Amino acid sequence: MIFLIEYNRGKGKIVTFRDFDDSQRREAEDSRLGIELDLNRKGRKGIDHEVVLLEAASRDALLRTHGRYFKDLDDLLKSASQQGDGAGVSREPEFGAEAGR
Amino acid sequence: MIKDAFSRTQIDRLGDRLKGGSHTESDLRLLDDYRRSFGEAYETVVRTLRQRGEVPTGRLAKSTVSIAEKLRRESIRLSQMQDIAGCRIVVGNVVEQEQLVASLKADFPGASLIDRRDHPSHGYRAVHVIAEISGKPVEIQVRTSLQHMWANLSEKSSDVLDPTIKYGGGPDEWRNRLGKLSESVAAYEKFEKTHAEAVASNEVIEKSHSKAVSSHEVFEKATAELLEHHLHEHEVEEIRGKLEDSRLRIEGLSKDLVALWNVNADLLTKALSWLEKRKGEKQ
Repeated sequence: MIFLIEYNRGKGKIVTFRDFDDSQRREAEDSRLGIELDLNRKGRKGIDHEVVLLEAASRDALLRTHGRYFKDLDDLLKSASQQGDGAGVSREPEFGAEAGR
Repeated sequence: MIKDAFSRTQIDRLGDRLKGGSHTESDLRLLDDYRRSFGEAYETVVRTLRQRGEVPTGRLAKSTVSIAEKLRRESIRLSQMQDIAGCRIVVGNVVEQEQLVASLKADFPGASLIDRRDHPSHGYRAVHVIAEISGKPVEIQVRTSLQHMWANLSEKSSDVLDPTIKYGGGPDEWRNRLGKLSESVAAYEKFEKTHAEAVASNEVIEKSHSKAVSSHEVFEKATAELLEHHLHEHEVEEIRGKLEDSRLRIEGLSKDLVALWNVNADLLTKALSWLEKRKGEKQ
């Protein structure tokens, strides 16, 4: 599947999310360009937005490799903490104190 | 309409405009055409990875904002950028990462390797394999789950806290903690690799020991067979000896018989002669 993501970096949030069949690649590419052109017409706002096309076996596979788009910093810190504990990596207890500011 | 070829000058001038933030709508369209020109190379790489059972997430198009930032941050030209198209694979651990990277080098001969594990880029650790298909580079990011976890934290905090965190900037405390976490991951993965090597060595030793035991068993069997064979030979020799003795004894007996025969014949001749003489005397 092909996923079109418009991501607002400063807010850390997805603005646009669309999925396409593998056969709709041209349509996905055109849609991506359309969003970028639209952002450009609106001025500098477009600079803060990533507009990407990703291709993954499933939405779960996409979440695994590109979780940054979908999870907030607190979620990532929690899963990092769990993963670190599992792996035996030393963890900073207060690491997430500044998250979300 | 996608252009088949772009001049380096044309692309680098486009890069300059993106870098300076002076790009126009037609520049975005040109950049989009340039991105799409990597499609065939990207497909080849992703197809190869899927055929070997990997589950990559492909990035068909690097965002314009990421391209512009990279041009501002690094001293490369747009035509030299190697990650316009690419994909990412997250593996379980550093041993799997080593194995996959070795396979990728075999799958894509001439691919270049950027190993950021021993020399991290502001804490970022991963291996990037740059495959080149028909002159088009395609970047394959290979991360372990721990390296990926760290990269996610670094990127997300760059998004929402300070854009410079990812490149070694940002608040000291946060940067230091990310640095320590990266070092912890590196230390753990070093241990993981050493442990795997020790296990592999142990397996080699066990295999060698098993081979030695097996060889010894073969030797023992061969020795037993040789001994058995030797004993058999000995027995044959003994029998041969006995046979020879018999032959000699038979030969000796024959000689005795012949001698006896000769004596008897002599005696018989003498007896006959004596009888003939006695017969003449009686007549």
